Amino acid sequence: MIKYVIAAIALGAAAGYLNNNFLNVIPNALVSDQLFSVTLTVLLFVFGFSFGLDKDAMDKMKRTGPKILAFPLFVVLGSLLGGLVGGLILHIDVAGVVAVSAGYGWYTLSGPLIGQLFGAELGTLGFAANFFRELLTITTIPLIVKLDKYAPVASGGATTMDTTLPVIMRYCGSDMLITAFTNGLILTLIAPFTIIAIASFI
Amino acid sequence: MTLLSLIVPLAVGILLGYLLRNRKLVKLDKVSLAVIVILIFSLGFGIGSNNELLNALPKVGFNALIISVLTILFSIAFVKAGRRMVKT
Repeated sequence: MIKYVIAAIALGAAAGYLNNNFLNVIPNALVSDQLFSVTLTVLLFVFGFSFGLDKDAMDKMKRTGPKILAFPLFVVLGSLLGGLVGGLILHIDVAGVVAVSAGYGWYTLSGPLIGQLFGAELGTLGFAANFFRELLTITTIPLIVKLDKYAPVASGGATTMDTTLPVIMRYCGSDMLITAFTNGLILTLIAPFTIIAIASFI
Repeated sequence: MTLLSLIVPLAVGILLGYLLRNRKLVKLDKVSLAVIVILIFSLGFGIGSNNELLNALPKVGFNALIISVLTILFSIAFVKAGRRMVKT
């Protein structure tokens, strides 16, 4: 499974690069936005459908219940501490790096927002670091999932409701659907607030 | 994509799956693998066609990678420890 995923991402990146810089055969957004949206919509339906069919998965979810709301909180704490440690090790503006880690993988938000609040350099860092969070979650998921059943959800952060959800479903199973989706949803909602909160503290 | 455009297909899928429970249905595994590969391709396409991102990587790539790995590892550690606290 993972070799198809890595091949697809590499081929996609090569095709996107060639199309954007040399060929201009099709509008970029047709693939990166429209095709992405259509496939994600299909997958969300299919995952939802499989979950609805799966009595065990639904029962497991019912047992976990509102406890799933704790996951995004742990991801917030872990991410911010990771950023703090990173800032100290790399000798970069610590508050800025903590804000970078508060993007939780949502790089299209954190790049511009951090750029606005902390300057262009940290904006670029926020863009790249959160991009890596998404990329690493997708490409290293067979290893991550061995650390803990919920580790891919932790790793994916805000991306677990869309871009990383499909691979998480493949590696963690149907019963992870609601946990992963809720985790991504909550982190997506709070990412801008945490970044702005950190900026207003300094 | 808007939040609603994610929640609606998910909710419709769950409801339909729930209603059609106890019926024999085709395996969706193969279908979803093919669609996942297409989705990941389109995700890669978005990366490859994003010059802003490609220009940023050589400049800040190393630091970004370190920060990203730390953020991921601490998140996993906190979730793993937190799971014991909330007992799931």
